[in-house]
Amino acid sequence: MTGYASRLVELLPVSGPTKEKLRLGGKKTAETLRIFRRNRLGMAGLTILVTFLVLAVFAGQVMILFSWISTGLGHPWPSAYGPFDDTNAGVDQPPSPEHWLGTDADEQDILSRVIYGSRVSMEIGLVAAAASMGLGTLVGLFAGFWGGWRDDILMRITDVFLVLPWLALMIVLATVLPGGQSVLKVVFVIAITGWSYTARIVRAQVLSVKERAFIERARAIGSGEMHIVRRHIFPNVFPLVFANAILTVALSILSESTLSYINLGPQPTEVVTWGNILYLASEENAMGNGLYLWIIVPGLCIVFVVLAFTFIGYALDEIFNPKLRRR
Amino acid sequence: MRSVRRILFRKVVNALITFFIVIALNFVLFHVMPGNPVRMMIPQKPNIDPAYIDMMMEKFGLDEPLHIQFLKYVKNTLILEFGDSFRTQTPVKDLVLDDLTWTLILMGTSTTFMILIGMTMGILAAWKRGSWFDTGSLGFTLFFYAMPTFWFAIMLILIFALQLHWFPTSGELPIGMKLTPLTLDKLWALLDHLFLPAVSLTVGSIAAFSVVMRSSLIDVMTEDYITTARAKGLSELRMLKEHAVPNAMLPMVTLIAMDLAFIVGGAFQTEFVFDYEGIGYATVIATQQSDYPYLQAAFLIIAVVVIFANLVADIALVYLDPRVEIS
Repeated sequence: MTGYASRLVELLPVSGPTKEKLRLGGKKTAETLRIFRRNRLGMAGLTILVTFLVLAVFAGQVMILFSWISTGLGHPWPSAYGPFDDTNAGVDQPPSPEHWLGTDADEQDILSRVIYGSRVSMEIGLVAAAASMGLGTLVGLFAGFWGGWRDDILMRITDVFLVLPWLALMIVLATVLPGGQSVLKVVFVIAITGWSYTARIVRAQVLSVKERAFIERARAIGSGEMHIVRRHIFPNVFPLVFANAILTVALSILSESTLSYINLGPQPTEVVTWGNILYLASEENAMGNGLYLWIIVPGLCIVFVVLAFTFIGYALDEIFNPKLRRR
Repeated sequence: MRSVRRILFRKVVNALITFFIVIALNFVLFHVMPGNPVRMMIPQKPNIDPAYIDMMMEKFGLDEPLHIQFLKYVKNTLILEFGDSFRTQTPVKDLVLDDLTWTLILMGTSTTFMILIGMTMGILAAWKRGSWFDTGSLGFTLFFYAMPTFWFAIMLILIFALQLHWFPTSGELPIGMKLTPLTLDKLWALLDHLFLPAVSLTVGSIAAFSVVMRSSLIDVMTEDYITTARAKGLSELRMLKEHAVPNAMLPMVTLIAMDLAFIVGGAFQTEFVFDYEGIGYATVIATQQSDYPYLQAAFLIIAVVVIFANLVADIALVYLDPRVEIS
């Protein structure tokens, strides 16, 4: 693995020092991967995650595959249903060979909605997490680096967002902000409520990195503030942020499903997510009518994807946080 | 002792600043946002008395420039004057305080069990590090942590209320029953209704405590004084009880306060699914009916409760950890 990577680096059209840097970087990555592979929880998480990513990317193909299987079993489907197709199979039908999870109030195939739903659910999770990590990292970096009154102000604001009950704030924001129900709004709401913890841990790390000798050296040779933050402090903070980011994705997916469940997420008629499948289920009283799969399957999807990100996050934490490494 | 007083003073000032930022945030959300939600606080019904509208306009200063509106808003907030709920046409203040009681009953019960169970599991896992219990409890608690609280609540109703009929499906008391005066029968009915919501809120958050307790204790166990304690020939139990656990407890105190913001989120979801009429349930209903006065007041009150709880934890930490005094 390492040998292959370093040979690959040799072929790249870059200068000597860059080559050396890449080679070292590759070696470090390989080492990290090696430790990660030993972590059973981490590998389990990765396996689940890859499965769901395949499901999301090839949603249409997966539905075609299922329709073939059903044909093979002697129950051909009229087509490989799309998530918004009116199947004319009747309203709120229980599971059948034609509709494995039944149909909803708009005669849409629930299985298809669950599979296509993986797309937006994970998309929102990833984008919202990236946005909130970005915001949190920026605030933490500058608060820690500047210190003084600017730090004080930034940290007071951070504290407010840390202390405020996240769901209450999300509900209020989603209700009060203009723009109706959309994916973008959900992403914004999750990002704006979720950045504070990152800012805290980044700031703490910056404070300790800032005092080290190589920063002083960089200052002594006249490096500018932005240069020091970008080239010396950020790379030392990044591993911490990365492990935390994975956990934030898990939280963002949970947040999206909760918002969608109380109908503050994207409109179920335009966008399908696991959360709003569950909303429609509760609207139709699926629980009281015995349509249990309609509730159980999308919920389990959320559980498994969140669990996958959580496992990976904890595994990375064990790798990057030497205190937790086994002695 | 002087320095302790100074630290306490600073903590109180910080809490006050946080409180005022929350008020300002609330003002921005409800008064400055496009569409001006507060204007909608005046019922739009055609048959309403014009004198009532004038009175409301005057009370909230809607005809005045923004800075006057803000001052009026702060004054109204401090005397808990939030206007009337659209839903019930009664003062929001009374509604929110009434709902808060129920939320505190649910959260108090759950948080107590969360901490007790989480700490016990964390201590056992750290003590038997690497054993089947360690891995098993981590997997078990993370599984429930990964679950959307609202979905777990639905599952509990499905199994224990609808299938097994062990507990009622919803509500906080049988319909029409008032809590006061409290009798033994009522207490029994209360517990009967509280059980499933409390389980749903508790189980999902155990991981938050057990994981931190575990890593905190593992951290402490590497300290020299633990080696000394062992070398003195103390039994494992006494070593844990007298040396390791008390020191590992300190991060937990901060954590309990910080997690409160998350537990509130869980409580909101639980209340909504169980029709348990606390602040969370009423908030979700308020978003669906655009009951802005309620939404505004509920958000502020719940924020104040959490800020206060954080302050208490901070102060407790000052007394528990002598090292805080030095820094």
